[in-house]
Amino acid sequence: MEDDNRPLLSSEQTESQSHRGSTDSLDVKAKRPFHVEPRNIIGDDPQERVSAEAAILNSRVHYYGRLTGSSDRLLSPPNHVIPRPEEIYVYSPLGMAFKVKGSDDTSKNPSIVTMCICHMEHDDGHVNPQHTLGDKTNFYSPKAIPYVDTSDWEFPDVCRYYFGKFGQWSSLVFSMVSLIGAMVVYWVLMSNFLYNTGQFIYNYAHNVNTSDLEYGTNGSEKVICPYPNIEPGGNGSITMSPLFISSVGNETLDSTSFGHWWSKTNTIPLYLIVLLLPLLCFRSASFFARFTFLGTISVIYLIVLVTIKSVRLGFHLEFHWFDTSTFFVPELRLLFPQLTGVLTLAFFIHNCIITLMKSNKNQENNVRDLSVAYLLVGLTYLYVGVLIFASFPSPPLLKDCIEPNFLDNYPSNDVMVFVARTFLLFQMITVYPLLGYLVRVQIMGQVFGNNYPSFFHILALNIVIVGAGVLMAKFYPNIGSIIRFSGATCGLALVFIFPALVHMISKKRQGTLSWPSAVFHSFLILLGLANLVAQFFV
Amino acid sequence: MSSTAMKKKVLLMGKSGSGKTSMRSIIFANYIARDTRRLGATIDVEHSHVRFLGNLVLNLWDCGGQDTFMENYFTSQRDNIFRNVEVLIYVFDVESRELEKDMHYYQSCLEAILQNSPDAKVFCLVHKMDLVQEDQRDLIFKEREEDLKRLSRPLACTCFRTSIWDETLYKAWSSIVYQLIPNVQQLETNLRNFAQIIEADEVLLFERATFLVISHYQCKEQRDAHRFEKISNIIKQFKLSCSKLAASFQSMEVRNSNFAAFIDIFTSNTYVMVIMSDPSIPSAATLINIRNARKHFEKLERVDGPKHGLHMRMR
Repeated sequence: MEDDNRPLLSSEQTESQSHRGSTDSLDVKAKRPFHVEPRNIIGDDPQERVSAEAAILNSRVHYYGRLTGSSDRLLSPPNHVIPRPEEIYVYSPLGMAFKVKGSDDTSKNPSIVTMCICHMEHDDGHVNPQHTLGDKTNFYSPKAIPYVDTSDWEFPDVCRYYFGKFGQWSSLVFSMVSLIGAMVVYWVLMSNFLYNTGQFIYNYAHNVNTSDLEYGTNGSEKVICPYPNIEPGGNGSITMSPLFISSVGNETLDSTSFGHWWSKTNTIPLYLIVLLLPLLCFRSASFFARFTFLGTISVIYLIVLVTIKSVRLGFHLEFHWFDTSTFFVPELRLLFPQLTGVLTLAFFIHNCIITLMKSNKNQENNVRDLSVAYLLVGLTYLYVGVLIFASFPSPPLLKDCIEPNFLDNYPSNDVMVFVARTFLLFQMITVYPLLGYLVRVQIMGQVFGNNYPSFFHILALNIVIVGAGVLMAKFYPNIGSIIRFSGATCGLALVFIFPALVHMISKKRQGTLSWPSAVFHSFLILLGLANLVAQFFV
Repeated sequence: MSSTAMKKKVLLMGKSGSGKTSMRSIIFANYIARDTRRLGATIDVEHSHVRFLGNLVLNLWDCGGQDTFMENYFTSQRDNIFRNVEVLIYVFDVESRELEKDMHYYQSCLEAILQNSPDAKVFCLVHKMDLVQEDQRDLIFKEREEDLKRLSRPLACTCFRTSIWDETLYKAWSSIVYQLIPNVQQLETNLRNFAQIIEADEVLLFERATFLVISHYQCKEQRDAHRFEKISNIIKQFKLSCSKLAASFQSMEVRNSNFAAFIDIFTSNTYVMVIMSDPSIPSAATLINIRNARKHFEKLERVDGPKHGLHMRMR
C-alpha cells in the first residue's frame, strides 16, 4: 500500500529537509508527525522520551491509515486529538530530533495533484468540411495545488484560491460561455431535426416527391447540396437549371400553409419552447440522466449509417495540398483556425470533471478511464469526419457543399437519415435539461449561494437561455461558427490562461519555477489568445 | 433450538453518521471504501462477511436516517431484522442535536427486540466522546447512562462511552465480547493454570476475528497499559497485508535475547499469545505446551451446548 512507500519522515520538517516534498497525500491531516519510538522495548530505561498516549496514538494512526484510501479523511486524527505542536518531536533515524515549528501547516510544501486530461464531448452529427488537417489537441501538465484540503475542489475553486474573487467570477463567466454556447447549438440542431422529421412525415403522408427540387447527385444514393454556390459565368461554374435556382433555400419551398407553419427558422424554434422550457424548470436533473443510453444508441447508429453510406458512395478523394480546385478543397488552408476553435470547445468539461469522477468506485482508475473516454470520443469523431469527407461525391458536387450538420446533405426522403434524426432529437431533448441544470447550479450557486433560490429566478434564467437559442436559430443558425467562437473564448480561459497561470504561480510560490517552463507556459497563453483572435479573421 | 446452523446476529445500530461503519472497520479490520461515506445510509445485508465468536454475524443498520426509504424498509422487514439476535449494540452520537428522536428510535428498536429476541443482550455506546471537553465527559456520560437505563426497562442495558481516538473503544468492545462468552470465568481460571504451568510471563487470549482481549493472565506488573490495543492493531495490520495475498494469518513467533512471544491459533474462536521471558526454554517446548492446552480448551468450549451460540455443531 502507499504506506510502504511513504517516506520515513513527514514533510513538516525544518530547513534541512524542506526541499523534499511528499507526493502522496496532500491532506494536512493525513501527514501527522510520525515518530519512531526510540526506547528499547525491554530495557529498563527510566527516562520516558515518549509518552504512553503519544505511543498508542501513533499505533492507532498507523492502523487507521491502512483502513481507508490515502486521500480519504474519514479516519484522520482531528486536531484536538493530536498533541500540541510544542509537544511534538520528530525523530530522524540519524538520532536527531526536531521540534515542529509553528502550527501553520498550510504554508508549507505544496504537493502535486492530479492531471487534467483532455476530454471531448460533442453530441451531434456535424462535421466541418473545410479542414482536413487536424490540429493537435492539448495535453496537460500536472497542476500544483497548495497544501490545504483540496480533495473536493473543482477548477473554479482552484481559480478562486489563486486569483481571488476575480478568478472565481471569470471562471464562472467562461464556463457559462461554453455551456450556454452548447445549449444554443443544441437548440439550433433540435430545430433542424424537428423540422426535417416533420417534413419527412408530411412528405410521406402526402406522397410529395421533392427529389427534383433538390440539387444533388443522380443515382440511387442521393447526396444533395442544400445551398449551392451559384456563380454564373465564373471559372468552373456549374450549370444549373433555373428550377434549381428557385429552390435554393428550401424552407420556402412550400408556399402551402404547411410550409408556412412548419418553417425551420421561423416557427419551429418557438414550438420547441413549449416542449423544453417546462423541462428546464425541473428541480432535479436525475430524471434525465436515465436517458444517457439514448446517446450511446445514437452514436452507434450514426457510425453504422456513415459506414453504409460510405460503402455505397465509394471514396472520392484527391489531394491538392495547397492549390484550389473546382471540386476539392486543399488539405492545408489558412482557414485552419476554424478547426482549432471547434476543438477547444472539447475541453469545456474541464470545469466539472472532478465532480463527475468523484463518485467512481475505483478512484485509482480515473486517469485510465478518462483517457479511454477521450480516446473513444476522438476516434468516433475522426471516423465519422473522415468517412463523410472521403465519400462525398465530388465530381458532381463541390466538397465545399458539406454542411456543418452532415445529415443535411441527404435528401429529405432518406429513411435512414430520418431515423438518425429522430434518435438524435430524442437524445438532445433529454440532454438539454441536463446542460440547463449544470448552468443553473453554477450560476445560482455562485450568485445566490443556493442552487434553487426560487422558481422565478430559475424561470428568468431559463427564459434567457431559451431566448438566446431561439434568436440564434432564427438569425444565425450556423453551428460551426457558434461552436468555434464559444469554444475559442471558453478555451482561452479554461484551457490556456488559467491552468498555465495557476501552474506558474504555484511553482513560483514553491520557488521551483524554471525559466524554460515559464517560457513554455507563456507560449501556451499566447497560443490561446491567437486562437481566439484568429476566429474573427477566418 | 434447532440444530440447523441458525446464525445468531449481532446488530450494530444507530443513526446514520453516528460512526458505526468506522467502528466496524476498526474493530474488524475491514477496509472502508470511499463510497460508503458518500452514500449516506449504510444498508448492510444479512450476508455480511463479518463473523466472530463462532457463528455470530455482524449486521449494521442505520436507524432512523433521513431516508423515508429506510423507515419503510425497516417497518416492513422488522421481524426479519430483529429475529435471532444475540446482541444489540446501539450507537449514540454524543454530539447529536436530536436527542428526543434518537431516544425514540432506540425505544422502537428495543420494542422490536422484546418481541422477537427477548433474550438478547443490549449494549449502548455513547460514541465520539473525544468531541466533548475532557472535564465534562464523565458528567455527560453519567447523564446519558441514567436516561438509557431508565428507557430500557425491562431490558437491562450496559452503557459504555467510546471514541475511536482513545482506548475506550477497544475496552468497550472487549467488555462486550467478554460478556458474550458464557464460561469466561472458567476460561480465566484455566488460563491462569496454564500460564503457571508453562512458566509464562503473560498469556493473552484474543478473539479470533477482532483480536479483542478476552482474558489475560500476567505474573508481574507490566509497564505499558496500552499494550493490548497495540498488539491488536499490529496484528490486524498484518492480517490486512496477508489478505491482499489471499493468505491468512496463522501463527507468529518473535524472539530475541530477552524474551520470546508466541501467537498462535488456539480454539475455534480464539488466538493465544504467550510471553516467555526465560530465553533458555526452547520454542519447541512452548509450542508443544500450547498444542496440548489447545485440546483442553477446546473441550471446555464444546462442553457448553449449542444454545450458547459460541460454538454451533451441524448435525
